[in-house]
Amino acid sequence: MNSLAGISHGVQSPAPTIADRSIDDAGKPAAKILIRNLNFYYGDNKALKSINVPLYERKVTAFIGPSGCGKSTLLRILNRIYSLYPHQRAEGDVLLDGANILDPGQDLNLLRARIGMVFQKPTPFPMSIYENIAFGVRLFEKLSRAEIDERVQSALRRAAIWDEVKDKLQANGLSLSGGQQQRLCIARTVALRPEVILLDEPCSALDPISTAKIEELIDELKDDYTIAIVTHNMQQAARVSDYTAFMYLGELVEFDTTSKMFTSPGDRRTQDYITGRFG
Amino acid sequence: MDRYAWRRLRNSIVITLSIGATALGLGWLILILGSLVYEGLSGLSLAVFTQMTPPPGADGGLLNPIIGSLILTVLAILIGTPIGMLAGTYMAEYGKFAKLTVVVRFINDILLSAPSIVVGLFVYEILVAPMGHFSGWAGAVALALIVIPVVVRTTEDMLSLVPKELRESATALGLPLAHVIRYVSYRAALAGIITGVLLAVARISGETAPLLFTALNNQFFSTNLNAPISSLPVVIFQFALSPYEDWQKLAWIGALIITFAVLALSITARALSASRKSP
Amino acid sequence: MAMMMEHTIKAFDADLQDLARMIAEMGGLAERQIGDALDALNRHDAVLARGIVAADARIDALQREIEEKAILTIARRQPMAVDLRDIVSALRVSNDLERIGDLAKNIAKRVEVVENELKLQKVMRGVEHMTELVLTQIKDVLDAFARRDVGKAVQVWRGDEEVDAVNNSLFRELLTYMMEDPRNISVCIHLLFCAKNIERMGDHATNIAETIYYKVEGHALTDERPKGDTTSTTNIPYRDER
Repeated sequence: MNSLAGISHGVQSPAPTIADRSIDDAGKPAAKILIRNLNFYYGDNKALKSINVPLYERKVTAFIGPSGCGKSTLLRILNRIYSLYPHQRAEGDVLLDGANILDPGQDLNLLRARIGMVFQKPTPFPMSIYENIAFGVRLFEKLSRAEIDERVQSALRRAAIWDEVKDKLQANGLSLSGGQQQRLCIARTVALRPEVILLDEPCSALDPISTAKIEELIDELKDDYTIAIVTHNMQQAARVSDYTAFMYLGELVEFDTTSKMFTSPGDRRTQDYITGRFG
Repeated sequence: MDRYAWRRLRNSIVITLSIGATALGLGWLILILGSLVYEGLSGLSLAVFTQMTPPPGADGGLLNPIIGSLILTVLAILIGTPIGMLAGTYMAEYGKFAKLTVVVRFINDILLSAPSIVVGLFVYEILVAPMGHFSGWAGAVALALIVIPVVVRTTEDMLSLVPKELRESATALGLPLAHVIRYVSYRAALAGIITGVLLAVARISGETAPLLFTALNNQFFSTNLNAPISSLPVVIFQFALSPYEDWQKLAWIGALIITFAVLALSITARALSASRKSP
Repeated sequence: MAMMMEHTIKAFDADLQDLARMIAEMGGLAERQIGDALDALNRHDAVLARGIVAADARIDALQREIEEKAILTIARRQPMAVDLRDIVSALRVSNDLERIGDLAKNIAKRVEVVENELKLQKVMRGVEHMTELVLTQIKDVLDAFARRDVGKAVQVWRGDEEVDAVNNSLFRELLTYMMEDPRNISVCIHLLFCAKNIERMGDHATNIAETIYYKVEGHALTDERPKGDTTSTTNIPYRDER
């Protein structure tokens, strides 16, 4: 196993080596987001310990690990949604195109327009399907009625839900099925034309068919967006992602291409987790 | 006796006791409503709504107290609702983790259960005594002081019931907090807040004690808020205690009107909160 | 190599153990077939030879069982990483063992036509030596498979060179016999095929060794294997002794 020791590069390895190192020699992707030496605290409780990981541009990066390992926490740092709550604090660098989003001067609303997020539970707003998408768009851009119509339609198409809702755009968003609601939420995020999309267990409340539709959607979206997905479903991570990061007890144990992680992971803990040998 | 028989026996004993307790509670309610209808319905006529309160022995109606009550109630709601909603919004949205919220919530709970006569005395001291006379304004303020804690409480509760995910996903779109509250939280909590206001209306429309010290009463038709103004609860109180049979009759009729108005409001509130659950 | 931790789902472990057990059974059967084939050839024992042909059916059946079990396990457990490699390895090894069984059967079928003439004793000893060499290779590689022993697998993998060397000399020897006396040709051709079959078994043993390497290390054995088989280019020019 010694021959593999160099491939696992978790906490011990210094940050720049991960970024500089080209993991996929064929693709040589650039890091859209670079997380360096990131620590996170819930009050006095340290939830993330010196995380170093890149999110490559126009690639899907999956975060896997047992409950409470910090993967959702990590995702919630990337759009600073944690800032809603007092006593939650991040230290280190999260570089979005080279600029640290943890800087106190960071405009959070603009950041969140650039980095969209879809949550575990579908959360359509209590308004019409059309308004669910239009009202976020109106906030950031002054557009004519026709332009907004156009934007709503293209977002709904992009989220592969247009055909199902085109005849009932004025119906309440809550009247849709769970899978449709989740795609509506993705459409809502896509409509703002973000650069990065964060998906926090987007399929955990959905049936297999809806899950497949969302996964197909992720596959299409990655042509234009950098995507990070947190999932409990390892098969899902294996299906949709290009890179996979395994986290355990607040540490990043291993980060590598998905094909490597799911066939021959370098770290024993990764292997035990993905093969179902965890405690 | 085997254990199943014993279990069945215990079961039937407890069920009998429960039904008995329910019947006892409902029984009094039916008796009260029954006597109200029996005593009041016979005197109910158009004249009640078109004529003034009479001197003893003469014919008359309840026009001036009905109008007075309407004016006082509407005014109290107009004063109390915005204040209560703003305070509740602060507590649920802006100051959720602030110490001030804990203090306000504690004081509000005390106000909520404070005897209304204390509120009446308080307004007498700060408004009636300095002005030198009883007035409709003083009555409206006293009732508003009863409205505020109810609205504060329901607003805070209803906003807190809005799922945190909904607020987070609105924030994740880059919406400023004010927009999140206006377009998402309020919409989601609207039916609940309206229910709270309707319950506050029901609560104040039967209050006598605070009005005795503030609006007092007026035998004549008056909409002048700087002068004493008539109201149903006070008229009922006065007429019911009088030795004149026709006055006592009018008191029954007034009680009937208030009771059914409150009942109608409660049913409306119920229907609203039911519709909130199934949008 | 340290023992693997158990799966949270115990039935998954049972599935993997079943596969390993079936591979071991198949390996044992294949080894016995090879030994029997050599005996039959040596003793010109047609009855034993027919027994070998009949016994091959059990190996084939085991291979099908392993295939079914492996596919079912993949479908039901969605294995990842080492488990996935384990199951794919079982599939591959069962194929190799099934081929080894076929090759032994092929030797057995030739028993009746190979007359054990006295002057061919020397060649027979060569075949015998080669068979024993290959048998050791197969025993070692199956042992390495069961114990996830990469070192031993690589040893087997390199050891094939020796098998090839023996095969080469046997090949030359048989050519010489055939040139000496055309009456030997028939027997020698059959023996040539027997030798070729045995050499192929050795190749399957190296396949298994490569599979073991992949199963344990997670990537293919990429070194260039020392190849010793030169029979395809061996030529002994016919010299007319007039």
